[in-house]
Amino acid sequence: MQTLWTRRATLAAAAVLATAGSVAAQEVIRIGVPTALTGTYADLGDQARRAVVFAVEEANAKGGVAGRKVEARFLDTEAKPDLARRQAEKLALEGFKLLTGTVASGEGLAMGPMLQRWDAIYVSTINKANQITGAACQPRMFRVNRLDASDGAVVTPWLAQRKEAKWAIMAADIAWGRDSGASFIKSAQANKRTIVSENYSPFGTNDFAPYIQKIKDSGAQGLWVALAGRDAINFATQARQFGLFDAVFTAGVSFVTDNTVKTLGEASKGIWGIINYSSTLDTPENKKFVADWAKKYPGTEPTNFEGETYIGMQVILQAVAKANSVKPADVAKALAGTTFDTILGKQLMRKEDHQLVGPNFFGNVGEKDGKLKPIITMSVPAETATPAPDPACKLPG
Amino acid sequence: MLINILNGLVYGGLLYILAVGLVLIFGLRRVVNFAHGSLFMVGGYVAFAVAAVSNFWLALVAAIVVLAVLGVILDRFVFRPLQHEDPIATVLVTFGLLLVLEDVVKTIWGKDFLSLAAPPLLAGTVSIAGETFPVYRLMVIAVAVLVALGLSLWLRFSRIGLYVRASSVDPVTTGMQGVDTDRVSAAVVAIGAGLAGLSGTIAAPLMALSPSMGSFILIDSFIVVVVGGLGSFTGAFIAALVIGQVHNFGIVYIPWAASMIPFLLMVAVLIWRPTGLAGGRA
Repeated sequence: MQTLWTRRATLAAAAVLATAGSVAAQEVIRIGVPTALTGTYADLGDQARRAVVFAVEEANAKGGVAGRKVEARFLDTEAKPDLARRQAEKLALEGFKLLTGTVASGEGLAMGPMLQRWDAIYVSTINKANQITGAACQPRMFRVNRLDASDGAVVTPWLAQRKEAKWAIMAADIAWGRDSGASFIKSAQANKRTIVSENYSPFGTNDFAPYIQKIKDSGAQGLWVALAGRDAINFATQARQFGLFDAVFTAGVSFVTDNTVKTLGEASKGIWGIINYSSTLDTPENKKFVADWAKKYPGTEPTNFEGETYIGMQVILQAVAKANSVKPADVAKALAGTTFDTILGKQLMRKEDHQLVGPNFFGNVGEKDGKLKPIITMSVPAETATPAPDPACKLPG
Repeated sequence: MLINILNGLVYGGLLYILAVGLVLIFGLRRVVNFAHGSLFMVGGYVAFAVAAVSNFWLALVAAIVVLAVLGVILDRFVFRPLQHEDPIATVLVTFGLLLVLEDVVKTIWGKDFLSLAAPPLLAGTVSIAGETFPVYRLMVIAVAVLVALGLSLWLRFSRIGLYVRASSVDPVTTGMQGVDTDRVSAAVVAIGAGLAGLSGTIAAPLMALSPSMGSFILIDSFIVVVVGGLGSFTGAFIAALVIGQVHNFGIVYIPWAASMIPFLLMVAVLIWRPTGLAGGRA
């Protein structure tokens, strides 16, 4: 599978190169993208890939970044931490040292301690586990997307408005799912809600029936779901057949996203969830991004993961321009403590923990312009949505 | 409790239909078909494509027929030349086949997850012991039971069933008795592949269609085949039932160890009863 993908990824990279044309003979900016091109999270990895390809083409069409051409190379990780570490190392050895685009938090956590040895940097755009910018933070690791604690900061005030007293949790048994579950429990405790059933399903579960039955038997009135990709679709399809969503109020994170809603259709209607990015956000920069996106990928709007990965690319390329260098050490220096122009406005990359300070949103799946999609009903500004740096993260300098 | 048993039967039933195809192909051709999961996946996609222009039932028939034809082709050009090769060669070739089929599906249908709705007739729920239970899941159990009954009757009472049983014990002697084992094999692989198409279709309304969906379920079906005993039809049936229940009750009562239990069961069988639960009867 890997060799096939390697070949295909090389082709894709070559295609990107070909469209780029010739730019001044400055050193090329090489973006390495180890991501899930197959497996449970293939759908998320594909979104990361599309966003990177879009950003690369956009930059090259403008004549590159400060005269530098941009190139990207993709390798399959299947969202597995050990494979991600190997693929990232391969990319770094081949000179693609500006890494981004992995899906599962475990992947970022596996790469983090190796970055300095590889002389690379890693910018997370999808990994949510708090540790990435918490206890496991690294001088060469950065995150532009919202962390679990930030989702918690949105869930806590939202939960206060809900009447359901007893809640169940259904999450993926990986670093992110466990983290999200813990985060929800904190929000529940803050609101004096009880957790009556906690379920963590193995990554890539086929049959969710036993979990669904457990949740039904637990007497839960509300359900928090932290499942993504294929897991999210399998769970939602089966839960709907059991009538779970009619009996239990459901909300989640990465569960009902632009892409899963497309597959699930009516089954996802009315489900609530955290929205980290939406194409409907009303900033001039975002409107331009959405319009350009539709030109590159006709008939589509950028999804949440595509928007977040694009923000990652904006941040990386601006840091290269600021550093006027493609050397990972220089780019890392230019990243920390700098404010970047993103599609969601100006955002600061905190130097204390390397977390980009951005807003967060909440909403539910409804109809907009005749299409089902997650619609924002509550916005939380950046200062409140991104909790203060975790003291467990100690970065030098 | 009853609902949990039923849920175990659903997953076990699905595994049985898939695993018994593996057993059929192994019995006749001595080929461990790693591509079986991708046949299951292709079955799901064929059903998805046909259902888009007609209905679920036609899709079900189409998936079985298309996969059976694919089975005949595979038997003639892949399994027949492979039967005298080293097992490692068959493993490599069938694994390669899996990659090819996955890529073909990716090229035709793309990588996005697809979903096939249950037929309207079976989309509702029934009340069992005061709990709601999807009608569709009952259908899955019924299909598995029908497949088990049909196969055992066919193997026991039909002439070709007799040939199949004879060939899977000793293909050479059976051939010397005047049975055209290649034709028997073609029929058997067609049925095995057709069953993979059937299981792919009935699984489609339960889980997302994706090019790699076969690999998610293949491991479980291999566990069923090993626990039941390679080449044993009864063994596959018993093992699928056991694995289905163990999977379900594991998650309900000892969730932290649930995903380990089927593997532990397999290890236990390999240590104490290496010929499988059915004791090596073919």
